[in-house]
Amino acid sequence: MSTTDAALPALPSGEPPRTTRPGGVFARPQTDTGWRSWVTTVDHKKLGIMYGTAALFFFVIGGGEALLIRIQLATPNGKLLSADLYNQVFTMHGTTMIFLVVMPIGAAFMNYLIPLQIGARDVAFPRLNAFGFWCFLFGGVMLNSSWLLGHAPDGGWFNYAPNSGVIFSPTHGIDFWNMGLLITGIASLTGAINLIVTVLNMRAPGMTMMKMPVFTWMALVTQFLLLFAIPVLTSAQFLLMFDRLFGANFFKTAQGGDPLLWEHLFWIFGHPEVYIMILPAFGVVSEIIPVFARKPLFGYPFMVFSGIAIGFMGWGVWAHHMFASGIGPISVAAFSMSTMFIAVPTGVKILNWLATMWGGKLKFSSPMLFSIGLVTMFTIGGLSGVTHAVAPADTQQTDTYYIVAHFHYVLFGGALFGFVGGWYFWWPKAFGYALNDTLGKVHFWLMLIGFNLTFGPMHILGLQGMPRRTYTYKNGYGFNFWNMVSTIGAFVITVSFLVLAYNILASRRKARKAQGVGTGRLTMAADPWDGRSLEWMLPSPTPAHNFDEVPVVRSLDEFWHRKYGEEEDGRLVRIAATEDVVQKGTNTDVHLPSPSYWPIVLAFGLPFIGYGLIYSLWFAVLGGICVVGGIYGWVMEPSVDPDAGHHDPEPGATEPEPSGEAAADEEAALVD
Amino acid sequence: MLGGRLRRLAPLAGAVVLLASGCAKKAPQTTLSPKGPEARTIANLINPVFLVAGVVFVLVLGGALFVAIKFRARDDDDFDAFPAQVHGNFKLEIGWTIVPAIILAVIGALTVSTIFTLSKKPVAGALHVQVTGQQWWWEYRYDLNNDGKFDEIVTANDLVIPEGRQIALTITSRDVIHSWWAPALNGKKDAVPNHRSPLTIQADHTGEFIGQCTEYCGLSHAQMRIKVISVSADEFTKWADNQQKPAANPTEQAAVEGWKVFAGQCTSCHRVNGLKDPSAPTKDFAYPNVVNQRAGVVPNLTHLMSRTTFAGATFDLRKSDDSADGRYCKALGIHWADKPADLTRCLNRVDLEAWLLDPPGRKPMAPGPAMSPASRGMPNLHLTGQQIDYLIAYLSTLK
Repeated sequence: MSTTDAALPALPSGEPPRTTRPGGVFARPQTDTGWRSWVTTVDHKKLGIMYGTAALFFFVIGGGEALLIRIQLATPNGKLLSADLYNQVFTMHGTTMIFLVVMPIGAAFMNYLIPLQIGARDVAFPRLNAFGFWCFLFGGVMLNSSWLLGHAPDGGWFNYAPNSGVIFSPTHGIDFWNMGLLITGIASLTGAINLIVTVLNMRAPGMTMMKMPVFTWMALVTQFLLLFAIPVLTSAQFLLMFDRLFGANFFKTAQGGDPLLWEHLFWIFGHPEVYIMILPAFGVVSEIIPVFARKPLFGYPFMVFSGIAIGFMGWGVWAHHMFASGIGPISVAAFSMSTMFIAVPTGVKILNWLATMWGGKLKFSSPMLFSIGLVTMFTIGGLSGVTHAVAPADTQQTDTYYIVAHFHYVLFGGALFGFVGGWYFWWPKAFGYALNDTLGKVHFWLMLIGFNLTFGPMHILGLQGMPRRTYTYKNGYGFNFWNMVSTIGAFVITVSFLVLAYNILASRRKARKAQGVGTGRLTMAADPWDGRSLEWMLPSPTPAHNFDEVPVVRSLDEFWHRKYGEEEDGRLVRIAATEDVVQKGTNTDVHLPSPSYWPIVLAFGLPFIGYGLIYSLWFAVLGGICVVGGIYGWVMEPSVDPDAGHHDPEPGATEPEPSGEAAADEEAALVD
Repeated sequence: MLGGRLRRLAPLAGAVVLLASGCAKKAPQTTLSPKGPEARTIANLINPVFLVAGVVFVLVLGGALFVAIKFRARDDDDFDAFPAQVHGNFKLEIGWTIVPAIILAVIGALTVSTIFTLSKKPVAGALHVQVTGQQWWWEYRYDLNNDGKFDEIVTANDLVIPEGRQIALTITSRDVIHSWWAPALNGKKDAVPNHRSPLTIQADHTGEFIGQCTEYCGLSHAQMRIKVISVSADEFTKWADNQQKPAANPTEQAAVEGWKVFAGQCTSCHRVNGLKDPSAPTKDFAYPNVVNQRAGVVPNLTHLMSRTTFAGATFDLRKSDDSADGRYCKALGIHWADKPADLTRCLNRVDLEAWLLDPPGRKPMAPGPAMSPASRGMPNLHLTGQQIDYLIAYLSTLK
């Protein structure tokens, strides 16, 4: 395992093993500061921050697209966008928000937190982790480059065939959609394998599965969903690519292809995708609410098993996206029932969160407000979800704004509220300063009001018969008033995020002044919220090596139980001062995976293969060279950098165990 | 503090509900006002579900508010005095797993029975109509003699049906996926190429019911509209008889000129049943070969003036606005063009002329060369004002 790579084994001859560096180019990079350190990093924390930053960048783009949509629809016969442009904008808004914002924000949390929560030094495959990030970034950039190269995708995020075929969508937009998402799919898939192995194999000694924090549990379920869902989308996209670029006939109806094949494949991916987006946010609020209620999570096993149940049932509901497709009454009835019952484990979660708050001492700091925001707003989305599990009603609601309202209550009111709460919660841990709580509250209330103004009226619009994906509407349909309200709400949401942006800058400036560090590194207390899980044991910001000493875990909420004990009558008493149980981050004797040039090189070649398939195969040749070169370098570079020497002044000399106890602990964890 | 703020929001929520119900009055495409048995079956199923969902909504959000207010930390609290550390309650959790499951099972049972009710085979006396979606208009073909062939009437944009009789639609598509939806009559059904999906509708009374395509179908998805016109059984018979007649040759001078323009410019795509050659008025018009490829992909115009809309029901052909003319003409129903005076008064020349002048400028379309399978929509034929006048004179004879 690369995080614990020890010295090279001694040779039978007794000669010291020779460390080779085939050609200087394969030396591993050594910088840990400056931009080079970010480009070559394999540190899960840096990659987590990069996922988050890139996702915020795409959030600005996707949010801008949302504002264009809302301005266009503010009044009937809007003239801001042409039909053609509107179709590109709504397609890219959905695609961006799903694949380039909500999923990577989830990935940011999972990358950053999973190793910390399970007491590991990094993920199982650090270079693969970096490769995943660069695939996501380059895939997203390639997708968006379509704006500059003539025509963005215009098939909707669901990209139904045969409208996505060359005949009906002759520009390259759909090809960009296809190639870009194939590349981001690699990110999801490698990330899933990586994090599953990490969670299953690298937990601290004593941390059994049922002592894992709920966030890590939900992340694990999410990664299994990704592992099985992404290949389905990838397959469908390959079929579409063959149709569009090589004249195949999978979806061309004139040649006997079947558009319903695409619908099934897309939604077999597409519905688990909903849970891929929401489960990490469920995990986030399951961490936040107990901290601010000062009570343990109510019914931990129920929370875990309901998450697993959602993960399983999520595979049996895809055709509820197709109730109007003409799939026959038996299919409709079966999927109607399965969809109905997926509400049960979701409802359990809501009630367990409320029960966690019940009897607590609720402190309404920003993270808690956003978490309650998720609990309440997601409930609305869940209830409207039940109304379209009722299939005959869904035939009235589907493809209207009622659906738009529903899934924004799920993905914005659910996932995004949870994630924003998570930002406020873990910001100190990642960056060494806290966000201002008053500004956080202003952000929350503006976002809550703006969100409900924007998406609440869409329920009414949908029931009044306003269809989705229409670039305009006429006077006299009763759509005017609520569309205007919705547009105003969208601008309130925008203001709320400007408050967040200001908060980030202002809080950092203030912390710098208070600590007198100029542009240097900010630090703060390890445990600002009186937290429960292992990451709060670490200094803020987390040091590169995470744990000075890998903790031995004895209970759920291990860190909490190192601070507090329960008396016989169930009352809590403090048994140790926080300062005495947190780690100092001073251990320098830890061998970490070395940075690498090759993940970014390998990932950089992929979009060029995509461009090559669209424009000229010469690009593909260049991209191919890049990919092959990247793989070659990846394989050839030494797994242990002989010059890194965190702990070992003389390569090849007898090796003292790196942080002996920790390594032993990790071995114990592996045996576990 | 928090409680106070939330309590102040409560009247706002009430106001929202009031406004919502108040604004729903003029919503011709609403799903909440069924005008036929199928739509009513759906409403009867969903309305109680809305009620249950509303009760749960109030309970959960009310519960959350209650908990947030009652258990908030107070400023004078001793930070280290912890609340009771409850880790869970198995019975309670089993309870709130089972109770929702039972509620959902009841809703599910009602749902399943409704699904099968709505997918019953059409009754014996049903009128069979084939609905074909294409970019970006709907074609309707009627099977009046019930022989399984939809060959008696070919029309577009307006679906004319007899009131109180079941209509059995067979829905399909010629190009991409569309979805046919008239919310007052039934839920939507996708029009999938190579698939034929059944849907029954029935209108309680005479009247006009609007809808639109609800599956994203490309450029002009927003302008692919639907209009169902329910008429009395007698009127329907009269309408159906007329629809089966071929067009007669025009006699008036301007219309004859328009006939020539039509034969020269429009017949690459459009058909008029019984069209004669303007240069040899007794001979059938010989359509250019290309029409065999394009036939059916554009609306058949034989009885254009019996329709109330044109261009995928995007524009009114019959004035129907709130003016005096509009109200008068709307009241004439499908008979608005029967009398010459009414036709003159009610024909929406403004939109029709603008359309003929520049169709892709009036409705987003992607017309290519007429032969190309990628051509979608009507091209700009660069007609002169004179030609347009003649053409409208000719089209006015197609009743």
